[in-house]
Amino acid sequence: MGVVSSIGLGRGAFWQSLVEGRSGTSTISSFDATRLGRTLAAEVQGFVASDHLTAVETRRAGRCAAFALAAARMAVRDAGLSDAALRSERASVVLGTTMGEADICGMLDARWILEGPDAMSPRVLPKAAPYLVSMETAQGLGCRGTVLTLPAACAAGNYAIGYAADLIRAGRADVVITGAAEMLQELQFAGFVRLGAVAPERCQPFDLDRHGLIVGEGAGVMVLESEAHAVRRGATALAEVGGYGLACDGFHITRPEPSGAGVVHALREAIRRSGLTADEVDFINAHGTGTKANDAVESTAVRAVFGDRRVPISSIKSIIGHCMGAASAIEAVSCVETINSGIYPPTMGYSTVDPECDVAVVANSAGRGRSDVVVNHSLAFGGYDAVVLFAKPDRLPSPEARGDLS
Amino acid sequence: MRPLAITGLGVCSPLGIGWEAFREGLSAPPGGAFTTTPTSFTAAPHPGLRVAEINNFDPKPIVGDKGLRNNDRLTRLLLVAARLGLEHAGIKRDGAFTALGPTEVGVCASTAYGSLEAIHELDSVARLEDPRYLNPARFPNTVINASIGYVSIWEELRALNATVTNGPTGALDAFDAASLWIGAGRAKAVLTGGAEAMSEGLWQAFRRLGALDEQPEGWAPGGSVSRGLRLGEGACLSVVEDLAAAKARGAKVYAEVVGYGAAFEPAEADKPMVHVSAAALGRAVRSALEGLDRSAVAMVVSGLSGLAVTDGPERAALAESLGGVAVRAPKAWCGETLGAGGAFGVAAAIDWLADERAGACAVVTSVGFYGNASALVIRRPE
Repeated sequence: MGVVSSIGLGRGAFWQSLVEGRSGTSTISSFDATRLGRTLAAEVQGFVASDHLTAVETRRAGRCAAFALAAARMAVRDAGLSDAALRSERASVVLGTTMGEADICGMLDARWILEGPDAMSPRVLPKAAPYLVSMETAQGLGCRGTVLTLPAACAAGNYAIGYAADLIRAGRADVVITGAAEMLQELQFAGFVRLGAVAPERCQPFDLDRHGLIVGEGAGVMVLESEAHAVRRGATALAEVGGYGLACDGFHITRPEPSGAGVVHALREAIRRSGLTADEVDFINAHGTGTKANDAVESTAVRAVFGDRRVPISSIKSIIGHCMGAASAIEAVSCVETINSGIYPPTMGYSTVDPECDVAVVANSAGRGRSDVVVNHSLAFGGYDAVVLFAKPDRLPSPEARGDLS
Repeated sequence: MRPLAITGLGVCSPLGIGWEAFREGLSAPPGGAFTTTPTSFTAAPHPGLRVAEINNFDPKPIVGDKGLRNNDRLTRLLLVAARLGLEHAGIKRDGAFTALGPTEVGVCASTAYGSLEAIHELDSVARLEDPRYLNPARFPNTVINASIGYVSIWEELRALNATVTNGPTGALDAFDAASLWIGAGRAKAVLTGGAEAMSEGLWQAFRRLGALDEQPEGWAPGGSVSRGLRLGEGACLSVVEDLAAAKARGAKVYAEVVGYGAAFEPAEADKPMVHVSAAALGRAVRSALEGLDRSAVAMVVSGLSGLAVTDGPERAALAESLGGVAVRAPKAWCGETLGAGGAFGVAAAIDWLADERAGACAVVTSVGFYGNASALVIRRPE
């Protein structure tokens, strides 16, 4: 696994900060947000593209694709995957994003608006496509199978990981580089502020006095392999992807549907398709944006699925902000770390119980407990609900035992 | 791939709105849909401006006028195509479900640059006025999947909603994703295909790239001259279902989707990322035809657009993998519709296969700008 985040580069640094609850929030340095009345974000400030990319790649790639490729290289190194395995028709890239190269797009647009269309540089235009996150990654790693970008807004990471698992299960790939990337950008930040979604100081998921989200950025990438491929090369699996569930609210473009029916369906599907029951889930990585509507609906859904069983739940958006398209991918990395360590990362800033969020929040310091089965929630613009289940290796029933469910 | 039935087509195109209007447009000589005076944007007069757009596009006769205020052009194109497709498939009538239900129907569609219009609109407010004046109701349109998300809201489609963005191959890739998800029991029917909206930004970007044909005469994708592409727009959504299930519910099957392949070839080291790979298309075609009878292929419905850098490798790959098979170019009628391109290719293939006696299959192909390529095999139903 590889991570680019506001709290560290690489899975080790990221996880250490997460467990300690060290916030990635700081004053935005990439643009001046003062006029908007919100100046904080979980910005990736220590990232130097050339530390991870070749000189040519560094010149060519936008920040979003650079995040993706850097995280992918970390993941490949972490997996000990050979170049031969990557440079194959059986190696694919499936990544998510919300807006892709938002800065390049914004820069071109600014030139056009202020100086006219001829100020848009033909050298820069080919760098603006949103699907370059996947193209640059495939190019950088040499993968030759399916290359796809799924822009599923803030559920993009889960969509990508789920789809990657589908490709492997369908026998179409042995290895899929999957996850998502997103970058902080002025227009998108202003839009979230205008939606009234951005907190003034901090993100406090599930707290009665929560005031919204903190925008974040980064990338989370994992190497998914078929079991046969992993066994053949003697790799150690960190976790297994179980089933995943998708639903669409069909209700409102930004607001979650109040009953949480879509989330409930996605969550139940993720569990059922893994051949498990709700009783077997040990930990929930919440979508937990810290907005009034999201956290209440998500809590309702958790209660509907787990009843009175208090499954520990945490939202690391209180630490790394809401990394939009990359959120569920970075959080997937966190889920796998939980499976490997038995540690639940904390939800920071939690002080007052909200009766509308009657869930077992891992508050303010990391928790410990069973961590064989972890679910990763994401809810997104467009009414998207996506949940992926991760499990300790060999914890899931065999595909034969659970039928063709995934 | 698991065979799918196409049980309905929702077409919102410069050739016409609705499946029959589209077929009629396709039966006329190509070129009629192109205009030098688009209504979708106002640009300073330019001698090279030629686009295929839906002149004076009005979604209201199809979807009514309630709730459209904050939707951008792309969303409106999609809403029209979705409504028409669902009705054509007999899933809805007058906006109400007549077969299947909300939790059984999903959407999986492609757009390559769908949010450009909205981004430019909001950027203009932010740059020329003040970011504090951004209209929050318009902000979601800047997110790539918003327009396709609106389809689920309007049509109450709750099984799943997914957006694919992969440049010109996206629509073919969306068919494959729909197939995987139907096969996994995530939906019984999926509206799939793609959409792209005409906007000044799109046209200016391709103009600045030097990719456009700007001559008044002689543009003919698929012909011997490749001077550049002409942009088009539209939304084209097919309703796809499991073949047996579609037959069981008594749906009319317009075509079967029986094969898919996709491949990527990295650019050579230190060469530009923008490159079109004949090798990738060759592999995609071979993989799409795996297990199928190659002699049944009556035609290739290509992505040829008139742009030499993409047409050259596409022709080379087709000559190598399907030499001797007739190659057709629907972009001569619809223009380069990018994220919708493959979807219009599928629709054209269905129309052309209806009268074709050389074989029952068409291979629909598309090459991307960065080394990717996809192919989909469509079969005329028995």
